[in-house]
Amino acid sequence: MHNEMISEGSARVFSNKHIQTSELPRLQELALTPISRRYRIINLSAISAIALVLLSIVTALRFQPLFELPEDLVFAYPYICSVIFGLAFLWATYHFFADTKITYAVREQDVSKQSGLIFRKLSCQPILRVQHVELNRGPLERWAGLASLQVFSAGGEMYTFEIPGLELEKAQKIRQFILDHKDVSAR
Amino acid sequence: MMDEPAAALENATPQRIVKVETGDEWQRLSLIAIVYFTVRNIMGMAQGLIYLIPAMAVTFNILDNLQSPKTYAAIAGVLLLTSLSGVVSFFMYKFRVYNQHVEIHNGVFQRRYTNLPLWRIQNVKIELPFYYRPFGYALVVLDTAGSGKEEAKIVAVPLSYAHALKKRVLFEKENHNANEQSTDPNCKVNTGSKDALASVDTVKHAETTSPQDEDANEEVLNRRSIGDIVIHGVTNNRVWIILGAAAPFYDDVFGFISEWLAEKGLQLNQIVGEQTIAWWQFGLYAFVVLMMIMAAMALLSVGGALFTFYGYTLSRSNDRYIRKSGLLNKLEVSMRASRIQMITAKQDWLDKLLKRVNLYFEQNSTAGQQIQELMSPNKLIVPSVTEAESVALSREVFPHCNFQQQTYKNISKRFILFWLAAALVAPFLLAFVVGALTAHLDIMLISATGFCFISLVLVLRWWRWGIAFDSRYIYVRRGRIGVDYLCFEPYKVQQVMIKQSVFMKRKKLATIKFVLASGAVTVPFLPEEYVNTLADSVLHEVESTRKSWM
Repeated sequence: MHNEMISEGSARVFSNKHIQTSELPRLQELALTPISRRYRIINLSAISAIALVLLSIVTALRFQPLFELPEDLVFAYPYICSVIFGLAFLWATYHFFADTKITYAVREQDVSKQSGLIFRKLSCQPILRVQHVELNRGPLERWAGLASLQVFSAGGEMYTFEIPGLELEKAQKIRQFILDHKDVSAR
Repeated sequence: MMDEPAAALENATPQRIVKVETGDEWQRLSLIAIVYFTVRNIMGMAQGLIYLIPAMAVTFNILDNLQSPKTYAAIAGVLLLTSLSGVVSFFMYKFRVYNQHVEIHNGVFQRRYTNLPLWRIQNVKIELPFYYRPFGYALVVLDTAGSGKEEAKIVAVPLSYAHALKKRVLFEKENHNANEQSTDPNCKVNTGSKDALASVDTVKHAETTSPQDEDANEEVLNRRSIGDIVIHGVTNNRVWIILGAAAPFYDDVFGFISEWLAEKGLQLNQIVGEQTIAWWQFGLYAFVVLMMIMAAMALLSVGGALFTFYGYTLSRSNDRYIRKSGLLNKLEVSMRASRIQMITAKQDWLDKLLKRVNLYFEQNSTAGQQIQELMSPNKLIVPSVTEAESVALSREVFPHCNFQQQTYKNISKRFILFWLAAALVAPFLLAFVVGALTAHLDIMLISATGFCFISLVLVLRWWRWGIAFDSRYIYVRRGRIGVDYLCFEPYKVQQVMIKQSVFMKRKKLATIKFVLASGAVTVPFLPEEYVNTLADSVLHEVESTRKSWM
């Protein structure tokens, strides 16, 4: 680690001024941009689609003429339907409110994301620590022209930094920005 | 059939001139490797057979001819086949160290060819299975990407050759890194690959030493005596080391014990079922039995600790820390100082009484791959050192770090409130109400004591949890009855997270989480202002110093 200092020392003038903590770049002052509005639409339609498929399977089983269902199941049918509907509704409501809360910011040295409805989480990934970057596009995202950006660090799979629902062009730009960053490309 | 490295060795008697390169001729292993292969194959087969045991038991029951010559013939056949397979494996294995590459051909049905450039090898482990030791042979495990799957093993070479190879690998690696840095500081490497990671290695000592005089540099930092290890066995539960190994014999042991008890005229169901003895007598029996079990556990644990930590030494050679230990199988793990992400000093309540500390040096952990903690090359443990030694050792790795003398910023009391309100009150209250409604005093009592106990644990947890930052290191203190101290350098942080719920925001509190290559460290319910400043300074530290985390 000392070597870096030595090798770079000749290239740039070494400076080590004392920095007041108030002068540090502040996370609280991040200019956060919301992700695409289409991300919420995708999520809501995916949830409705799943709920519809489940409901139609249950209904088809209930009213098919091929074999008799046990009494209990026939009796339970309306309850099963309402449980599916209720869960889908809750899930959709969550996404309806939470998806608009997802915001991100790119600074010279790091990328940040803020998300969460009740628990607000702000994560900040220094570009220096990025190992590789991926763009992920599922079928629905492709259809909507979106992509999610995944940034991997040595922190491991569990802490993969991800910004979902970015317009493809923006996602590609951020990806390129990270890849062109001298800390990443210098390795 | 004489193996060349061994021959080369015996001709050149002095230990210093062990030739590492074997030339372009392929080498066979020493004959002792047959034992290794046989043992390995038997173990492999035994693991496979575990799933077959129920099926076999059924067939045996049907045939009911356990004692017949057929069975013996079958067993003998299986044994013969496995030992033959050892011989076959031996003949199918060849290796050479040529042109700075280690090459290995192995596999009976599935042939494998491994080619490892010496400078790519990340870690060299020398293992000494007990049947190798009298003959002075060793097993060399070459670790490439840090993942267990990509290991290459040179199965049986003379111990001195193993050490020579290890030195050579370390030497090559340093040389390679030094060259890379001096000639081509801006070399572009594909950032996506793991190799890129491997080659960012920074070299601490620019002037490399020749491989011969490295041994002289190896300085022993700590030794653990048998007494220390016994203490470690008592204070830490190392029972599983032995229990794990003995698992196949459980049924027999339990059968034996109950038979033995029956012989002595003691029958458990008799004692419990009939009112022949007074309750206090029964309580006494139960207590004595419990104590006996505890004592047996402690003994087993001491055994387990001795098994893994016998002859423990921690030494340093240049920028590497090397741990050697083991009773039957000697194990050696080495770790580069720059790779250490975090130091953890753990002190359980018993450790606290005896004033001992378990010290861990944690390296990057490949997520999803849980290796046994004690053997893992990702965590270097120094078992049950005294408090003074723990301070000295942690300063050896992180100069000037000081766990004890920090003024820790305590977390807010709302932490207790939050957990009680969020998760814990509801079930206990429910149980209490149910108890009250159905007029069951015992349910009410149990839920009330349970609630008190949980609250007590939460209070202890709140009391311990704190963070400190002395502009050089970040310290975290946590625990319940025991205390854990964590210490890491802020520039090694991979990612910073701040979490805040709606309620926490109202009270100006926030949770901070640092993701390191060795895992994440969380400190909850700190003042918002403190968290923000800390996050900003850590990010500034990472981004402005640009030091490598490896």
